[in-house]
Amino acid sequence: MISTSLIPCGQYKTSYAKDTTLFETPVSRAFCVAGVVLLLALPQLGVSNYHLTLLIQIGYLSIAALGLNILVGSTGQISLGHAGFFGFGAFASAWLNNKFGVPVLLAMPLAAVMTTGLGLLFGIPAGRLKGLYLAIATFASQFILEDFFARADWFSGGSSGAMAGTASLFGFDITGDRAYFYVVLFWLVTMVLLGSNLLRSRDGRAFVAVRDHYLSAEVMGINLTKYRILSFGISSFYAGLGGALYGHYLGFVSAEGFTILLSIQFLGMIIIGGMGSVMGTLMGTAFMVLLPEVLEIGFGGIRAVAGDVAWLTSGLAYAKQASIGLAIILFLIFEPDGLVHRWKLIKSYWKLYPFSY
Amino acid sequence: MKKTLLASAAIALASTAAFAADGIPVGHLADLTGATASVSKPYSQGVADALKYLNAQGGTGGKAIAFETVDYAYEVPRAMAHYKKLLDQKVVAIQGWGTGDTEALVSFVAKDQIPYFSASYSGHLTDPNGKTSAKAAPYNFFYGPSYSDGCRALVEWAADDWKKKGGHGKAKFVHMGDNHPYPNAPKDACGAYAKEKGLEILNPIQYSLKPGDFKAQCLSLKESGANYAYLANTSGSTISLLKSCETVGVKTQYMGNIWGMDEASLKASGEAANGMVWVVAAATWADDNAGMKLVREIAKISDPSGAEARPVHYMRGVCSAFYMKEAMDIAATLPGGVTGPNIKKAMYQKKAWVPAGLDGVCLPSGWKEDDHRGTTQVMVYQAAVKGADISMKKVFTADIPRRTEWLGW
Repeated sequence: MISTSLIPCGQYKTSYAKDTTLFETPVSRAFCVAGVVLLLALPQLGVSNYHLTLLIQIGYLSIAALGLNILVGSTGQISLGHAGFFGFGAFASAWLNNKFGVPVLLAMPLAAVMTTGLGLLFGIPAGRLKGLYLAIATFASQFILEDFFARADWFSGGSSGAMAGTASLFGFDITGDRAYFYVVLFWLVTMVLLGSNLLRSRDGRAFVAVRDHYLSAEVMGINLTKYRILSFGISSFYAGLGGALYGHYLGFVSAEGFTILLSIQFLGMIIIGGMGSVMGTLMGTAFMVLLPEVLEIGFGGIRAVAGDVAWLTSGLAYAKQASIGLAIILFLIFEPDGLVHRWKLIKSYWKLYPFSY
Repeated sequence: MKKTLLASAAIALASTAAFAADGIPVGHLADLTGATASVSKPYSQGVADALKYLNAQGGTGGKAIAFETVDYAYEVPRAMAHYKKLLDQKVVAIQGWGTGDTEALVSFVAKDQIPYFSASYSGHLTDPNGKTSAKAAPYNFFYGPSYSDGCRALVEWAADDWKKKGGHGKAKFVHMGDNHPYPNAPKDACGAYAKEKGLEILNPIQYSLKPGDFKAQCLSLKESGANYAYLANTSGSTISLLKSCETVGVKTQYMGNIWGMDEASLKASGEAANGMVWVVAAATWADDNAGMKLVREIAKISDPSGAEARPVHYMRGVCSAFYMKEAMDIAATLPGGVTGPNIKKAMYQKKAWVPAGLDGVCLPSGWKEDDHRGTTQVMVYQAAVKGADISMKKVFTADIPRRTEWLGW
């Protein structure tokens, strides 16, 4: 009974499979499954559309951030161009659907595959460059893509943007947040499973080796160029899929949405959540999406109590923006290892309770 | 800690309750921090002040108009996301802002049947049935001449001016603006009309909507030898351009779009703006008539002293809010009450009209089932700046013909 929820003290593993298992105890697996089931039931439980919108937002951003975490957190590369790939996925999916009539549900993964190709191409400099130099190279890709979106009328509709059709399944239109939530959830679960499994595969271990010490990795026979570029490709696949989900969710894709700011936000998500951690990515994305909303509610409350005074309204708007920045700074000072680290501390506290030392 | 949590939860509840108060929900989008903030601030203030004033007068059909001004920083995705929120609040109409977001929302507001009163006067929004343009915009309305008609009026003025000055050969006309839906909107339509009027069209010059250093663009303008330059951006960017071009020594006659110039920008540009002409579509703060008295009352809502001089955009914001409110009044008498489709129907009830009390402020405007060009009358103003002496006066009024093939262009 106890063995279903507790891990014995000491090493009792007898196989590699046990060493790399995703769920250390049956209970943690049950919790995870129960979480997914709860999410499946959520739209039927009378959750407001506003909360559903936030969940969908967390969903598609998480997918893209997960890709970046594989690249930055697990392979030790850096990318300032993630929003460009995110946008490319959105435009590619809309383009496939509008131009060739590819069904939306199929266009999304196809767009992700196209983005992978693009990511492999833009990842080539990574074979040669490291650190800040690589950051600048990816920065360039961000600008190349942004400008491409604004000019390529045939692909993105140029500066006026492109319409992204609604998804449909067996002749039924997937309209409204309640239905779209399931599309996002399906891809989120799939991509999280793929991501978690990737990291315990041979290629995933190679990524970590490249990150931890590239010279040792090369000595061990890991092809650095191959794995660095592969990491860019995989991360672009995630970005493209997240972007496609985003595009069809809004129904319209515009070149302005994919600026360097979004790239930096993606970096913020994984740093706040925890580098190299799948769970951390989800937490970090949720944090970044919910923080402004929580502050909005708080400041909205002050406004409701104090009344609509002009200087107060504008002052609060400013205070809200400033406190987002402040919250992030405080977070980095007091929680440098990310939200996932705090989560682990909480878990071990309860595990050892009341005998923690 | 618990106490503060409870308190904030109570405050949060109170705030949602405040919004759900008995009223007719209307959306209001503005750009307070983005690229076009310099002109959106006064315009959205005009809309907000007018709605608050109308609520103080009893609202529409005995109910207040419930609205909240939301800043979307001129980013289309943020406007789209906010639109979803507005759908949840079951708004019956929206006061919108930019061309990019308005054009992106065209098919959405048509599907959801929500009349959208934009501050974008893009010609693409004037064809409700999609007869002569690619895309129908059945639920889009705006007060003022379309950008295309505004630019056509400037072209007419330029053609006259060229004759008056005794220019030889064809006058050279150039379109200047960012690669963005708003500056692009009148580009082709106006170019075609300029050709028709015997002007020579030069290659367009691109400069950013965000203010910056535009000396490179000014040098190309100088080199091109253009006589008339149409500036399609908003005023913040226009100021930078005028300043840069003054340094470079450009002698071109500038013609600004309706959002391209205002009193504050004249002051900021100084003598660089001397002689510039631009489109105006409502009374100015300096005008004195019955309608402006009401506008001054309305302005006291955000400035109780009444001392602040409002730029031209403020008046158009007031007009837009008043047209919407009068349509809601009519809709309240229709079966079904104040709903999106009824407001749309109500917009067609009167022939060219001016909202009650605003005579002399708003141009008489009327909308038809097959033609959403509210007005085609365009006033062209010219600036005179000498040192600290700044003035502007009407130099030309154009009545642009309502050609059917121009609908939605």
